[in-house]
Amino acid sequence: MVKRKFVMKVAAALSIALVAAACSSNSDPSGSSTTSGGGSVVVSGSSTVQPISSLVAEKFNASNPDVAVKVDGPGTGDGFVLFCEGQTDINDASRPIEDSEAADCQKNGVNYTELKVGLDGITVMTSANNAAVTCLTKGDLYSLFGPESQGFTSWADANALAMKQGGKGQFPDAPLDITAPGEESGTYDAFIELVGIEDMALADKVPADQAATLRPDYQSSPSDNVIIQGIEGSDTSLGFVGFAFADQAGSSVKKIEIDGGSGCVTPSQDTIADGSYPLSRSLYIYVNNDKIKSNPALKSFVDFYLTADGLASVNEADYVDLPADQIQATKDAWAQASA
Amino acid sequence: MAVTTTDVVRRNLRRQGTDWGGLLFEGALLFALLVSLGFLIILVGQILVQGLALLAERGTSFLTSQSSSLPGRAGVSQALVGSLMLMLFVVATAFPLGIAAAVYLEEYAADTRFNRFITVNVRNLAGVPSIVYGLLGLAIYVKAMSGFTGGASVISGGLTLAILVLPIVVITASEALRAVPQGIREAGYGVGATKWEVVRSHVLPAAAPGILTGTVLSLARAFGETAPLILVGAVTGVFFTGSGSLVEKFQGAYTSLPTIVYTWSKLPQAEFQKLTAAAIVVLLVMLLTVNGAAIWLRNRYERKW
Amino acid sequence: MTQVPTGTHLERPGASLAPGLSAVLLGDPRRRRREKLIAAAFRAAAAFSILVGVLIVVSLLGEAVSFLRSIPLRSLWTDGWFPRRGMFDVKTILFGTLIVSVIAMVIAAPLGIGAAVFLSEYASSRFRRTVKPILETLAAIPSVVMGFFALTWISPSIVEKLMGGNSIFSMMAAGIGVGILVTPLVASIAEDAMHAVPQSLREASYGLAARRRTTSVRIVMPAAVSGIVASLIVGLSRAVGETMVVAIAAGASGGSLFTVDPFGPGQTMTGAMAALATGSDQVTGNSAAFQSLFFVGLLLFGMTLVLNLISERFVRRMRAKY
Repeated sequence: MVKRKFVMKVAAALSIALVAAACSSNSDPSGSSTTSGGGSVVVSGSSTVQPISSLVAEKFNASNPDVAVKVDGPGTGDGFVLFCEGQTDINDASRPIEDSEAADCQKNGVNYTELKVGLDGITVMTSANNAAVTCLTKGDLYSLFGPESQGFTSWADANALAMKQGGKGQFPDAPLDITAPGEESGTYDAFIELVGIEDMALADKVPADQAATLRPDYQSSPSDNVIIQGIEGSDTSLGFVGFAFADQAGSSVKKIEIDGGSGCVTPSQDTIADGSYPLSRSLYIYVNNDKIKSNPALKSFVDFYLTADGLASVNEADYVDLPADQIQATKDAWAQASA
Repeated sequence: MAVTTTDVVRRNLRRQGTDWGGLLFEGALLFALLVSLGFLIILVGQILVQGLALLAERGTSFLTSQSSSLPGRAGVSQALVGSLMLMLFVVATAFPLGIAAAVYLEEYAADTRFNRFITVNVRNLAGVPSIVYGLLGLAIYVKAMSGFTGGASVISGGLTLAILVLPIVVITASEALRAVPQGIREAGYGVGATKWEVVRSHVLPAAAPGILTGTVLSLARAFGETAPLILVGAVTGVFFTGSGSLVEKFQGAYTSLPTIVYTWSKLPQAEFQKLTAAAIVVLLVMLLTVNGAAIWLRNRYERKW
Repeated sequence: MTQVPTGTHLERPGASLAPGLSAVLLGDPRRRRREKLIAAAFRAAAAFSILVGVLIVVSLLGEAVSFLRSIPLRSLWTDGWFPRRGMFDVKTILFGTLIVSVIAMVIAAPLGIGAAVFLSEYASSRFRRTVKPILETLAAIPSVVMGFFALTWISPSIVEKLMGGNSIFSMMAAGIGVGILVTPLVASIAEDAMHAVPQSLREASYGLAARRRTTSVRIVMPAAVSGIVASLIVGLSRAVGETMVVAIAAGASGGSLFTVDPFGPGQTMTGAMAALATGSDQVTGNSAAFQSLFFVGLLLFGMTLVLNLISERFVRRMRAKY
């Protein structure tokens, strides 16, 4: 009996401690938590854009501590599914919305605004110990990654196909260990789009439903860190990630130059900004229009996102800033949507 | 067990010297034991080397900062609060239910087929992998009961962990109750007490140390679980809880210490590896404390019949 | 037994002695009612555990059946497990689980039983008292910590350096990690079984001039065989259900081709479930990929249930002997 009372007292004390902790767990000095809070913003979508949105959320939280913000990064495709069902307020995207997704949104009555926020360059990478590969053309990329490459376990297997698609080929006979994003990732779709996989595949008589896909037999992961680790783990590895992750990856991996027809170009802030890097792409956020009216916190969040401080997060996250005219276009689009 | 007289006698009779085969065998067994322990030592050593350096550098700010995408600012405060809130649910839900079920099975239940079925069922549930409980939580708490729980919230996570821990609580409480000698119960009946009165005033207090130890150990188990929480929607990104009411907080986003270890282990920046190690240090310290408390309680209050 | 004469007070004690006496003996009706209520409450609590079991099966079955109905059954036998592409090759994940579990048991069985024999037959009681809690601490390590350790130490130092693997994510690294987690479980149950063997059996063996080693191997272990087998099956069940080590260290989170190479990445049943959850966990269950989560969960539940029932049988045999 005494023990039970003791246990109950401990449990009661623990509960009180927890309630106190929960009430004061954010930086709200006045401790007022019984009124309904300042609203909430739910951001999901691309793991590429996630670092940018996370930084914006942290800065926003510093000046608006009473708003609940959640930022997630399951992948652009998965994010759009949630967004078009109205479950998220903002969808980060590393590629534009697809027609099928737009149709879903329309079917569910979700109206959105597309806002371009930054630039990225998809960076193809290999191990730093792989001296044989320094520059690849789009044809080479097709021969290594494309739908016809299923079963190629050595770089040399891709030589014939590379020559056919106008690439340089001449790959060494070494194990081809690929680690790259999977289909839930916007980077996957953007890669297919920018390299032009579909056209090359169709020209090579690949059936239409497989033309816009990559080979299925590689180590795929939605987590960019896992991809980098996979590339580090083998001496003759191959993969691709967003530029920010490539840049922060350390010295055991190296970036491969891409030849889009006018020479080998290394991805860097400058070559992405001026468009000379062939695999440059835009980064977007999609905002749910109807929630702008009903959720004032969302409006102030996106307002903050597009301020100089907010957009500085793009560079801080190691991506490339939009040129000034595109920033203005984004701001105009937002002003129109939030009016 | 020391060397037997047979060994000594035989050795003296044969003047053979040492039994090499026996020593080799014993050596191999000791090696097996040491390898198992060796892995533990290497694991703890590895984690400590990376984690302590970071903890020394960041100090308590690591414990009080919220999660952030910048490694220099990231901390485990939200994870700690989340874990504690989840444990609150486990304590409030699983313990009373589990102990009550154990009392029924040990004190009230006749040996019918139905009751044997319950016992077998509880044992099987204890062996189900934790991720299956996550599926159950996803189907029931996150989807079917989302009005009450707020979807992927602390309530869902806590109730999922409570169900996971329930069979273990039932089993350990049953064993503690079974260890109470029958004489105590019979003495109570002998003076005219009803079954409930005997249980309440004699059996439960006598079994309390064992029950307490078992429940604290199952709490430690729930504390370290990650897989079910991932399925039930613990946040793996960055989040801030704002200033909603307590109910809104319980229905809102959360994370836990093991979940944040999982999240950070997958982030690209190298500093996050050190942060992961530091978070693991915090996790292990808390687990050791809870386990140690359970063992201390057992040693202090244990009664030998 | 003598026939109790009917109608006397011996037939129903207190019934005919005095009408009020039976009421007195039975006691206060309020007390009796409270007793009944309390007993009913306890029974409800116990029955709740059945509800949990039923709920698990029902929720898994419902979604799993709807999954099987929505996909062409051909897709259960394809080149690999790529749920987002509609390829749900079951043998990929089954073999993945098999490989990781076998590697784990190859590690856990000798280490666990060896440690158990040592602790039970050779160690002094003081040694046993200090070492056993340390071994139990190993069992308490959360699997996510072991997963991180498998990725950051086991994989580079053991799999890549010693065994010559060339991928940082491998089923071998995950298997070794799971094996380390399972070892204390095997050791603990096997040691309990051997400790329970009566001393008289050992003394009889020594009386016949057998050595310690002979006694341990020829007498004690066979006597404890049910417990040892139970420990191995429980360990296997735990290895099959282990998720986080595989999710972190075995790679292949987006899917995997059918492979039996333990030195490469691979997908187990639990890893497949974790991968599906971190992708579209909040999607409202309409996509086949999401529903496959429940299908795999059902398979896993079935497997561990069978293993647990078998181990139950052995545990009961072990307990029944002594």
